[in-house]
Amino acid sequence: MKFFFYLTLVLLLVPLQTTVLPHVSVWNIKPDLGLVTAVFIGLFAGEMEGLLLGLAIGWALSLFSAGELWLSLLTYGGVGLLAGFLGRQVSQVTSISLGVGLLLVSVASGLLAMANFKNIDMSHMWGIVESIVLPQACFDGAVGAGLYWLLSQRFDVTRLRAE
Amino acid sequence: MWMVNSRFSSGARRLAFACFALLVAALFLLPGQIQGLLQYLDGPVGHIVRVPLEAVASIDAGIADRWQQYMALQGVREENQQLRKDMESLRGQNSQLRESAAATERLTALLQFKEQALPAMVAAQVIGRDATNRYRAIILNKGESDGIKPDMGVITPAGVVGRVVKTTGATSVVLLVTDPNNAIAGLIQRTRDEGIVEGTQQGLAQLKYIPLLSTLRDGDRVVTSGLVGGFPRGLALGTITHIDKQEGALFQSAELMPEVDVGRVEEVLVIQASYGQSTKAMGGMELPGKPSP
Repeated sequence: MKFFFYLTLVLLLVPLQTTVLPHVSVWNIKPDLGLVTAVFIGLFAGEMEGLLLGLAIGWALSLFSAGELWLSLLTYGGVGLLAGFLGRQVSQVTSISLGVGLLLVSVASGLLAMANFKNIDMSHMWGIVESIVLPQACFDGAVGAGLYWLLSQRFDVTRLRAE
Repeated sequence: MWMVNSRFSSGARRLAFACFALLVAALFLLPGQIQGLLQYLDGPVGHIVRVPLEAVASIDAGIADRWQQYMALQGVREENQQLRKDMESLRGQNSQLRESAAATERLTALLQFKEQALPAMVAAQVIGRDATNRYRAIILNKGESDGIKPDMGVITPAGVVGRVVKTTGATSVVLLVTDPNNAIAGLIQRTRDEGIVEGTQQGLAQLKYIPLLSTLRDGDRVVTSGLVGGFPRGLALGTITHIDKQEGALFQSAELMPEVDVGRVEEVLVIQASYGQSTKAMGGMELPGKPSP
């Protein structure tokens, strides 16, 4: 049952990210729902599921991106694992702390991806950080915080995480 | 926040970390093999993911069509009048061009030029945009099973759109001409100087490595040079809008306004084989207007 839920999640994530989100992008920046999903799964289901679903999301999204496959696998898998680990260590997660965490993770993954760009000088690098990495990190953090807040309004998230 | 890790088993955690460490090690030590293995599975996975992707894309296109039809009604009368005026002027130009075409045909026959076959092409629809914000790329609804391979050129009747960089069984990813990671060999049509066209951070393009002695100017058109890559010679890339000539530099560069508005492109043609190879390509669509042998 869980497997089919995850499969549906990954299959829906791809069209949502590639077809629907470009319409709601702000200054051509759209949130990375794959990153947000990997964090949520890691947080609620633990390291192992966070890692596996992160890898699946990374693989599926890399099929529909010009980026490198290994980078996508490392980023999403690592983020799922990290979220699972932190989820076990920290008992009280608030929407603000989750948003800030997602922002930092998004900045880190953006910088890692940027380091992989070829023939790029410092001025261009700062331009990319300013125009893509930071706005996207803010967007990711806001979406994650909003989603967590919505979940916490409807469900007992502490119990969900313990289960 | 406080620590609560006591009641969770550390076995799963250790296993997860071990798996991740193994993956990282494998990706660094055997990058080709691991990626090759995953890319082998890309084909079937691409076919599965294509189903929801195309469903969502068609719903999205339907909504966009309705909205555009509604928006099109706004100010349609003024637009109609303007179009009528444009049509009158274009009729005049058309008759002049017909004359030129006829003259060219006669001259070609006279010079006994060997007739070149136009490239084989396959038409594809844009069903999405790059999954990340870091690349300017579009997703097409045709892939390896339709004969599309990486490095093939992608165009519209207006000009160059980009280059295929990745394919699955049923889809392909096209890196747009406006992406800074893309590079296409270009030629200034008037001066015949060659350079490399790359995208910029601002979503435009630039022609780099132009010889210092080139007499280029604003408004010059840049076309593909046909020397490398999947593009034949003469496809429109863009128009020069600004020239950058720095003192002491070995080359000059120029900013281009791309010929195709890549942000709005919906249907494209993928060039499957360049000039002279079109007969070898299977299942390709021929460009309308191909001269009969």
